[in-house]
Amino acid sequence: MVQLQRNLPDFERNNIAVFGISYDPVDVLARFAAAHGVTFPLLSDEGSKVIRELGMLDEQVYEHHAAFGITNREGRFWGVPYPGEFLLDERGVVTQKRFQKNYRERETSRTILEQGFGVAASSHGPEARSEAEGVAVRSFLDAGEYRIYQRLRVNVEVVVPSGWHVYGLPIPDGYVPLSVTVAPVEGLEVGEPVLSTPHPFRVEGLDEQFFVYDGKVSVAVPVVFTRSVGDQTLHVEVRFQACSADQCQRPNGVRLDLPVRAEKHVEWHS
Amino acid sequence: MSSNDSVQQGAVPDFDRMGPRVGERFPDVALPDQHGQPVDLHKTRAGRKGLVVFYRSAGW
Repeated sequence: MVQLQRNLPDFERNNIAVFGISYDPVDVLARFAAAHGVTFPLLSDEGSKVIRELGMLDEQVYEHHAAFGITNREGRFWGVPYPGEFLLDERGVVTQKRFQKNYRERETSRTILEQGFGVAASSHGPEARSEAEGVAVRSFLDAGEYRIYQRLRVNVEVVVPSGWHVYGLPIPDGYVPLSVTVAPVEGLEVGEPVLSTPHPFRVEGLDEQFFVYDGKVSVAVPVVFTRSVGDQTLHVEVRFQACSADQCQRPNGVRLDLPVRAEKHVEWHS
Repeated sequence: MSSNDSVQQGAVPDFDRMGPRVGERFPDVALPDQHGQPVDLHKTRAGRKGLVVFYRSAGW
């Protein structure tokens, strides 16, 4: 909810009204909203009547908790919805439903804006830039703070000068493909980088088939903190080899540091 | 991030069937907000697109 508030200008700019629904009584919501400056409506479905009517009741909340080592069977967990988002169009019709298959994980507001509504999010987390022999590299996190089990992306943008390209896979021996590595951090799970499809390329006089990227190339590495490890710095290494039609630079790389803070209430709950 | 996926978490619901369906108008919802004021979701939405987030609690 706090992250939604931070990104609210992007939602408002794109004409999207945001609502939260939970079983919390009004006074709990009032305290939360005051503490975090939440201005969009947090709807109070105390007693979970609407949650039940809409078919959103999590009937397996105790099993879900138990699978992740939470054995508290206090009655207060009963009545929670399965967490997820509904995207509505201008007529109020549901166009998309977003749930996480892994019960613990949540996505960022940025992902909802970009993947859900197809609009660019203007604000993001810390950014770092570097450059190596004409190739410009920018890296930024979705957000400047992390919560446990919230998926973040380490975004990397590589801009290759006109007339040059860098390599994707598959790649002939001896050439260095574009790669993004996030150095290991305790409590951080790093997923497979996601790159767009490179296009085929042949060099006159060479037999090999290359696959290349040119212009602006975006790479996203999904990461998730599985426990609170305090404030951290993510060390991102981007490696590549830039070639033109008739020459190649040596393989090159840049290192970028992205600080990320542990959100104050970083424990998983909502 | 396969290690998370491999943890047994009980039956994963059929998300398509859970809650309002894609293609249906989101039901009318009228509930109090954090100020104790009654809010009619579609009225407040007022012809804009919408994002309705179901979450577990702001209290724990």
